Amino acid sequence: MNTIEQILARAAGLSEVKPGQDIRCRVDLAASHDVTAPIAIKQFSDIGIDRVFDPDKVWMVVDHVYPASTENARNNVWLMKDFAKAHHIRLYERGEGVIHQLVSEKANLPEGSLIVIADSHTCTCGGYGVAGIGVGSTELAAAMATGMIDLEVPQVAQVYLTGAFAQNVSGKDLILALAKKYKTDYLCDRGLILTGPGIRGISREERMTVCNMGTEIGSMITLFGTERRETDVWRTDEFNLDGLVPQIACPFSPANVRDVEEVAGIPITQAVVGSCTNGRLNDIEQVVRVLKKQKVHPDVNLLVIPASRSIADEMERRGWGETIRSAGGAVLNPGCGPCFGAHEGLAGERDTVISTTNRNFPGRMGSTKANIYLASPRTAVCSAVAGMITVPAAADEEELL
Amino acid sequence: MNPIKGRVWIVGDDVDTDQILPGYAMSEPYDKLGQFAMAGALGQEFVQNVCPGDIIVAGRNFGCGSSREQAPIAIKQAGVGMVVAISFARIFRRNAINIGLPVFCADIRPGLCQGDLVEVDLATGRIVTPKGVTEAAPMSANVLSTIEAGGLIARVRAELLSKK
Repeated sequence: MNTIEQILARAAGLSEVKPGQDIRCRVDLAASHDVTAPIAIKQFSDIGIDRVFDPDKVWMVVDHVYPASTENARNNVWLMKDFAKAHHIRLYERGEGVIHQLVSEKANLPEGSLIVIADSHTCTCGGYGVAGIGVGSTELAAAMATGMIDLEVPQVAQVYLTGAFAQNVSGKDLILALAKKYKTDYLCDRGLILTGPGIRGISREERMTVCNMGTEIGSMITLFGTERRETDVWRTDEFNLDGLVPQIACPFSPANVRDVEEVAGIPITQAVVGSCTNGRLNDIEQVVRVLKKQKVHPDVNLLVIPASRSIADEMERRGWGETIRSAGGAVLNPGCGPCFGAHEGLAGERDTVISTTNRNFPGRMGSTKANIYLASPRTAVCSAVAGMITVPAAADEEELL
Repeated sequence: MNPIKGRVWIVGDDVDTDQILPGYAMSEPYDKLGQFAMAGALGQEFVQNVCPGDIIVAGRNFGCGSSREQAPIAIKQAGVGMVVAISFARIFRRNAINIGLPVFCADIRPGLCQGDLVEVDLATGRIVTPKGVTEAAPMSANVLSTIEAGGLIARVRAELLSKK
């Protein structure tokens, strides 16, 4: 069995599983956020039981619309507060951070765990060896009630990595390159595992970035394995990181990926660095390295959104907030920010956005006419300084903090 | 389950959940979601003109993107009887089944026009369009029974009751 099959077998209490097999798995965590929890709460009450399967394994997080930008959004938080109190479950609110970041920081899940979250970017946890399944609110309600999820065992594709990132290349460029290759539905109902000596130089945070967008290429479970090549997989593709140059997803699909070089020079008006994809300290560090020496272009609105309170705290300790602000950028509260078009930095029809987030569908961040490009933090900040899409230079010694 | 019959609305490939239910509508109250159905993909034209029982016919990868259940809910609330697509994104497909919105895999777009009358039998896979009859793979018994029961919650409720 490959690593994903091993995880599923353990969760199902079976000694072995095979692709196509229908199984019922125990979950180690069932969670939802302020956009998916209200419906999950409604569905849970329809089931008609009075308790969740295990209060220690059920979480809710307020991250998508925090602070509330509408009365409806605030009312949804009240629903979550009432449910959390009634069922003695953990509720993270008041700007604690984005759900996937909080799971990474606080859930202490051992490798090989299986979790279910009502959010498509649940797969982020594959970066630290946990299998994360994104589901909808109803399925999450069922998981809160039963502690189980019904699945069919997927075929698993392997990407065997060799080489190492160049100085101006990171995890985001890798997953964008994979999106270019696999498009958005090739891996539908399949799993993806990344292995090979090339993973050695990829940090936990960068692995989280890669796995985060596994859902964009349709993958059901996305996971980093070990350096060892797995043999029990559906197919294997080799990928040499040495040849990878900065990548960018162009309007209007995460899979519409080109080399940044091919679209360099396109003027931008807004740059967003943050989200569950690229809102960690290592991501914001890329911004600060550049802004220590250069200012944001006067025509560009730069928004930096740390993915959690602890990241924001560390930023402040290092004086990064001041650096970003002095250079003309803004630092927002931890949360999802403008990623999905509800608040905190929407784009108008005259805007072209470069963003470290994960989706650029029409209207994703506001106007359906606003062009959205997805890129790494380094590409985003270099573009924000230049006022146009820019191939990021390699870091030089002057930049190092 | 009886065959589903309705007038078609045709969309293309990769219609994502931001187009089906945009971000600005995500916090709307549950019973208002239908007013925003397909707002990104088809604008106000759909919401104002959709009739109960209409069928959405799509290309590949319908429902890709977010896990927002508001997307299939909005489609169902707007009165749509089912979605027929070449393929569905996984989470959308499961969400639709879980709330009792029939989703069916078939390619019936060739020669089909907006507003054509189409009939789909989920149990046999038989599809009748103005162009003629197609035989597609029928829906699996498991999925059919979940849809007929009205969705996942009914199934879970029954399972938990039977354990008592």
